[in-house]
Amino acid sequence: MKWALLLVVAGLALVASVLIGPAGLQSAIVWNLRAPRALLAFLVGGSLGAAGASLQALVRNPLADPFLLGLSGGAGLGAVLAIALHLPGPWALPIAAFIGALAALVLVYRLGRIGGGVLDPRILLLGGVAVGAFAAAITTAIVSLADAAELRNAFLWLWGGLSSASWDAVLLIAAYTPIPLLVLLGASRPLDLLALGEEPARYLGADVERVKRRVYLAASLLTAAAVAVSGVIGFVGLIVPHLARGTWGHRHRALLPASFIGGGALLAIADTLARTVVAPRELPVGVVTALIGVPVFALLLRRWTVA
Amino acid sequence: MLRRLLFAVILIAGCRPSDRPTVTRSDRIVSLLPSFTEILFAIGAGDRVVGRTTWCDYPPAALDVASVGDGIPPNIEAVAARKPDLVVLYNSGPNVTAAQQLERIGIRTVLLDLNRLEDLGPATRKLGQLTGLEQRAESLAAAMDSLTDRPLPPPTATLAYVVWDNPPIIIGAGSYLSQLAALAGARNVFDDITAPSAQVSLETIAARNPHWIAVLSDAEVPPGFAKRREWRAVPAVRAGQFLILPGSLFGRPGPRSAEAVRQLKALLAR
Repeated sequence: MKWALLLVVAGLALVASVLIGPAGLQSAIVWNLRAPRALLAFLVGGSLGAAGASLQALVRNPLADPFLLGLSGGAGLGAVLAIALHLPGPWALPIAAFIGALAALVLVYRLGRIGGGVLDPRILLLGGVAVGAFAAAITTAIVSLADAAELRNAFLWLWGGLSSASWDAVLLIAAYTPIPLLVLLGASRPLDLLALGEEPARYLGADVERVKRRVYLAASLLTAAAVAVSGVIGFVGLIVPHLARGTWGHRHRALLPASFIGGGALLAIADTLARTVVAPRELPVGVVTALIGVPVFALLLRRWTVA
Repeated sequence: MLRRLLFAVILIAGCRPSDRPTVTRSDRIVSLLPSFTEILFAIGAGDRVVGRTTWCDYPPAALDVASVGDGIPPNIEAVAARKPDLVVLYNSGPNVTAAQQLERIGIRTVLLDLNRLEDLGPATRKLGQLTGLEQRAESLAAAMDSLTDRPLPPPTATLAYVVWDNPPIIIGAGSYLSQLAALAGARNVFDDITAPSAQVSLETIAARNPHWIAVLSDAEVPPGFAKRREWRAVPAVRAGQFLILPGSLFGRPGPRSAEAVRQLKALLAR
């Protein structure tokens, strides 16, 4: 029943985001711009939701979100470098952002294993924050030293948005995301056990080290692709997993798909609002996800703590 | 002791402006906006400009003047090192703070509005007054006023100024660029947006279907986004209908705005 409801909501969100827009229903615009944008919003939102759910389980911290581990800082640095160096080609910016995110991923991963071969979630978190702050500092230095007008716009890109959506981007992401998603889904049983703590999980037969490595890499690769095509869209990866946990409980076999579909629906709705509420102008979509997500989250937080 | 001395110096410096007559002929001027630099040179005060921003590239003689940085925000020490008796700033939040700091060390400042073509005349007259070149300033100001006084030609084409591609940012009615287009006989399809610039969705640009996409650029090739698939949903992008406007001439209102209108008109007539 609750699955049917979620699927209906997601379907309606997708249909609405294709049908509703400031330009009315012109076939060329609907087909070339709005349909790929709606699908990209769904895939990106879903990736962030699933990545957030698995990272929260991995570091056993309810505050974890896909960008906490330094990926946004790395992607931002890559994007700003691409703009400052005037790298040519239509795909220069997303590729540079992806490489930046991967560089941050590798760096944080190395830091996380600093105490020998074991991946320590606490060091992973601290390393992520440190690498993110360092990348952000370099980014700000570049922005303040280089051509100001152009780079101010780079900051807008960092705030997230889906205006670069095209069928190329949709196909790319649709081909890329299933692999890390399947890896995460495959790790759902050990992720359930990890909630009990690493020692108990080990006694119950989970290969804890392998699971932590796999989950960290898969969730980060999902996030890196999302940030490369759409910038840093906040709150989806933090809030959706908590909402899903409230309904589907802590079993990751159900929680991960629910977070994926819920995240996709939320971002599709948020992007439709971003395009339409102040038309002909447009809001950064991250603003809308925060404006919808945070009040809903606060309400549920209150209900959970009271109950 | 040293601190007391410093305090006395600051006190004396702080008193100075009020001791002097309110209008004195300025001989060492730092200009912190390319438009002001152009106006100062045009009214014959170019030899008194002792500091400029890195963006001030016109007239060519301005390049011989020492640069005090990019001016956003102004580097107070670099400005003070030029020992100016007048600093001309564009009237904006960070510049108001900078002007206060300069006044505090005894340097006279003036903050001038320059957002629309109507602002050119008053700004020029004010600069004429401050340099004692009222007559030449008046004739330049009168020519600038005539730009906005005359009736607009009926629009024969439409355009959209695209400032940035991801997210798409366009120029609205609040910018002098919208006025330049109107004077050249083209309607800005985003003239219902009162702000100088705004983020819009790509589908709005496609739906409003302007004849031309105008970009400020010194490269003579179409912008990078012309090759992006999603931008090709805009018919003018697909047809390669770009107006590539040189940044030095179109990027600021100033004495050459009439020339900018002429060039835009010629490009539209192609």
